[in-house]
Amino acid sequence: MIRRAGVALTLVALLAAAAAGLFRSAVPAGRADPVAAVAAGLRCPACQGESLVDSRSPIAVSMRQVIADQTAQGRSPDEIRRWFVARYGEEVLAQPPARGPGLLLWVVPALALLGAGAAAARTMRARRPARVSPADRPTRRRSRRPVWWLAAAGLVALVVAVAVAADRLAPPTVTPRTDPTAVALKLAYDLEGQQRYDAAAQMYREALRDRPDDGVRLRLAFALLRAADAAGAEQAAGQVLDHAPESPDGLLVLGLAQRITRPTVASATLRRFLAVAPAHPAAPEIRRLLGS
Amino acid sequence: MSCGARRPWWWRIRPVPAAVLLLAVALGVVLSTERLAGPTDAGQRPAWAAPALAGTTLDGAQFDLATLRGQVVLVNVFASWCGPCRDELPLLAETARQGSPQGLRVVGLNLRDGPDAVRDLLERTRADALTVLPDPDGSRAVDWGVRGVPETFLVDRDGQVVAHQPGVVTRQWLRDRLSPLLAAA
Amino acid sequence: MLGDLGTAGLVAGLLAAPLAALLWLRVALAGAPARPARLASVGALLAAVTACAVLEAALLGHDFSVRFVAENGGRHVPLYYAVTSLWSAMDGSLLLWLLVLAGYGALFARGRPDRLRACAMVVISVVTTFFFALSTFAANPFRAVHPVPPDGPGPNPLLQEHAAMGVHPPLLYAGYLGMVVPFALALAAPLAGPDGRDWLRLARPWALVAWTTLTAGIVLGAWWSYAVLGWGGYWAWDPVENASLLPWLTTTALLHTSLGGGRGRERWNSVLACAGFLLVLLGTFLTRSGAVASVHAFTESPLGPLLLGFVLLAVLATTVLTGPRQPPPARPGVPLWSRPTAVLVNTVLLVTVAAVVLIGTVLPLIAEPVTGTRASVGPGYYHRTAVPLAVVVLLLAGLPPALRVRDRAGVLRRLALPGAAALATVAAVGLLSRPGAAALTAFGAAAFVLTGLLTAPGVPTTAGLRRSRRRAATLGHAGLALLAVGVAASATYARVDERTLRVGETIRVGDVAARLESVQRAAPGGRMTVRARLVVSSGGHSHLAAPVLRYDPARDMAVTVPAIDAGTRRDVYLTLLAVAADGGSASVRLAVNPLVGLIWAGGAVGTAAGLLALSDTVRARRVRRPHPTGRRVPVAAGASP
Repeated sequence: MIRRAGVALTLVALLAAAAAGLFRSAVPAGRADPVAAVAAGLRCPACQGESLVDSRSPIAVSMRQVIADQTAQGRSPDEIRRWFVARYGEEVLAQPPARGPGLLLWVVPALALLGAGAAAARTMRARRPARVSPADRPTRRRSRRPVWWLAAAGLVALVVAVAVAADRLAPPTVTPRTDPTAVALKLAYDLEGQQRYDAAAQMYREALRDRPDDGVRLRLAFALLRAADAAGAEQAAGQVLDHAPESPDGLLVLGLAQRITRPTVASATLRRFLAVAPAHPAAPEIRRLLGS
Repeated sequence: MSCGARRPWWWRIRPVPAAVLLLAVALGVVLSTERLAGPTDAGQRPAWAAPALAGTTLDGAQFDLATLRGQVVLVNVFASWCGPCRDELPLLAETARQGSPQGLRVVGLNLRDGPDAVRDLLERTRADALTVLPDPDGSRAVDWGVRGVPETFLVDRDGQVVAHQPGVVTRQWLRDRLSPLLAAA
Repeated sequence: MLGDLGTAGLVAGLLAAPLAALLWLRVALAGAPARPARLASVGALLAAVTACAVLEAALLGHDFSVRFVAENGGRHVPLYYAVTSLWSAMDGSLLLWLLVLAGYGALFARGRPDRLRACAMVVISVVTTFFFALSTFAANPFRAVHPVPPDGPGPNPLLQEHAAMGVHPPLLYAGYLGMVVPFALALAAPLAGPDGRDWLRLARPWALVAWTTLTAGIVLGAWWSYAVLGWGGYWAWDPVENASLLPWLTTTALLHTSLGGGRGRERWNSVLACAGFLLVLLGTFLTRSGAVASVHAFTESPLGPLLLGFVLLAVLATTVLTGPRQPPPARPGVPLWSRPTAVLVNTVLLVTVAAVVLIGTVLPLIAEPVTGTRASVGPGYYHRTAVPLAVVVLLLAGLPPALRVRDRAGVLRRLALPGAAALATVAAVGLLSRPGAAALTAFGAAAFVLTGLLTAPGVPTTAGLRRSRRRAATLGHAGLALLAVGVAASATYARVDERTLRVGETIRVGDVAARLESVQRAAPGGRMTVRARLVVSSGGHSHLAAPVLRYDPARDMAVTVPAIDAGTRRDVYLTLLAVAADGGSASVRLAVNPLVGLIWAGGAVGTAAGLLALSDTVRARRVRRPHPTGRRVPVAAGASP
């Protein structure tokens, strides 16, 4: 008896302590950040499903800044939210408002809870044995053959339906093949980034076949220069200069290539480069080269 | 109790699967009507008054959108750290050159960027003639309801935003949206 | 060349799968021999194996004339990620899907070919047929490319950062598709006559396989997200994650309602078994058609409408087949303080959580056509709805040791100690810190569960545990409690700071300090990699951390790979957000996440519990099973004319 009372007393004391802990913990601590609170209720418009608090996209950072500014000006969280809705539409809210389709967020779970609860209550009740009428049992014997043929027809129909629908629904433009030259150029840039200049030069040559463009030719010349194929670079730069004798980049590569192939004319070419483009990013380096 | 045979047929339907079926069919109908309607002009809302846009441009001049009533203004939000922006700048610069006799101004709103990086970008894309308004903390862009970069707004001669393109602008878009405005003058 | 071979494999599957369906139908209807049907099922599996093997060969051999390789292969991709790139994009992952599906079909075909199994095999074969047709006509990865590109972009860079990527998708698929067997059995049961009564006993091991692999897959996915995405979390309630959670919830419920032969809960079992696979199909539709990202993306590929059509077809078939009410068998009522009550309450709650997750996931889809704006449902909604429900579910997991059939009166007495432990935990934690109501109740519930399990008879000794009939359940519930503690603690006590540091400056979070030593850039221009080196010191010892920022120009995508120092007590999680152009400073995010390890531990314990339950079930069956497999069915004997 005494033991039982002791247990009960302990439990009551624990219950009180737990309630106190829960109460203290549930009351928002004073240091709660109002900016974070507003940001949590807004969605980052540039991301998928991230709130402003979590997102690192630059626009989200800016939006947090705006929230902070407006909070500092003494605007209420509701005003700030409305300000954002006016600019971004309701989709900026992290949760749709509880009207229209947004109501479904609360109605569907409530219905599920009630429906499943009612079903569970029915399951818990005792049930008398129901007499089974023979008509209820799915034992009607039909001829097997039609079923089989029907099933065969159904399967064929399924496959045909998928085939036809896939054909019909395929987007009208059958994957607009990207321009192969553009792909080759992209790959060439990547290869250059990986310092595989030989391979990059190869790609540039491929691109040049389809699109004889001086820009590409210059890239080719640069790549050849870096791949230590000075003669090739000189030739490519020469072609560019045939079309545009004043091209600063063309002169630059030509000059640099000539430093290896024909050092005697190199400095003249580089000086011409400096005369044409004194503000070119490579100019100081060339000046240094010529000066030394 | 042997009434199973006499009950109407619908008594034998179970509510849960039937409800699921109904929901699924409804979802299918909603989605397929949406499909048939085709990709509509989502994101094209009716015209709204352009928010304020004023300040010191990259080269030190004063800019105020409010003083440009009577001109068509293309506001392009861009940044040097955004690849697609880089690609569309030449087109915008070209549009600015061609449209200026007809009263077109192209303004770049430069989102969260350093001045050096922008100058470098403009130089490389031959778009140095563009009026660029820096927006280092992004608050101007947020005021315009910008979702990401690039994004472009078209302000007509009455100061209304009449078109809005999230993402890269194309020649086609400019032809469809901008040309009628310029021709109307 | 390889492309043609792969397409041939798909077409072979497209012939074998319907053939299997028809042959199994003959077994079901006329009691025909099962051998040809089994061979056809194995044929479908072989076709899927061929298709997968051919695509792997093309990926490894850099055959860029194959469309999938041109879009997802690349010469620079390391071997391991070249193998895993099979499932790095949709068309290839559909092949893996087919492989797993046909594998389940061929495995399930092996047992005693009674009418129930034959009917179920018809269902599985029809599903297989659909996916073969989908892969052949709508998403054929083997289509030829003109002109053949010299190189490809490689798989999505996010999928090339973590070894878990090799196991996570196959495990998820094994989980998703394992549910096809219980689904098929539940559909077959009303058709199979007297054989059908036994469907649940046959379905439960498959449900266990599916649940175990799905659990492992989900936890691995969360781990990958934590270790690669670099945003500091592991679960974002995004549609793809939700799609995996939905069938997990209903299957968890099914594993409980099917306990003890599922007597008295026939309808629950049938509905939950069907719901599991229907939700898998729905989730596939939602995530694979791009419908959730944007309704407009739905029209960009024929896959979306086709999958939606199949979901509707499956729902229709389920309704028609399991819909008609069977007269329920007689049963006694369920006493209030008993395991069946706990099971039912648990099921109701899990179904409600599933409803929450489902509506949260599909609402944007429903709302956009109606209102014209893109509604979005953020984590806040789930925190307010699913989390409290989950805490109650966790509390229920502490009940089984106290609920005993023989001694109903002593329930409250047996609950006193766990209850006291829970209250003491709530009191202590709540008074010492302020974790918020949800986390606090979760801590209390976890204490309740763990104390209840530890004080259950037989548990304190390993020998007792080895003998216990419910040892798998004990282990599983313990895993759940650990997971809950990890989730609640990391969600409430994590401390984060974000700063831009110059070299030599320090960022501090609590007692952890990180000093930026250097910023290195590699390969400017091409595939750019920036690596920051920081010295992290806490409590007297220090180590070097190197978070990485990678940019892939081929896909115009940046990857932030965090540097994680995982400890038992806490993880120190460093992310590099941005670097200055001159390399002199870097923006760094430093997070201290306590007890994250418990989440992975809980997941591992849960998976182990699933395996244990499976082995217990199989062993019990081996002891009980009267006849060997492969005997012909007597039922059908009277059926043939």
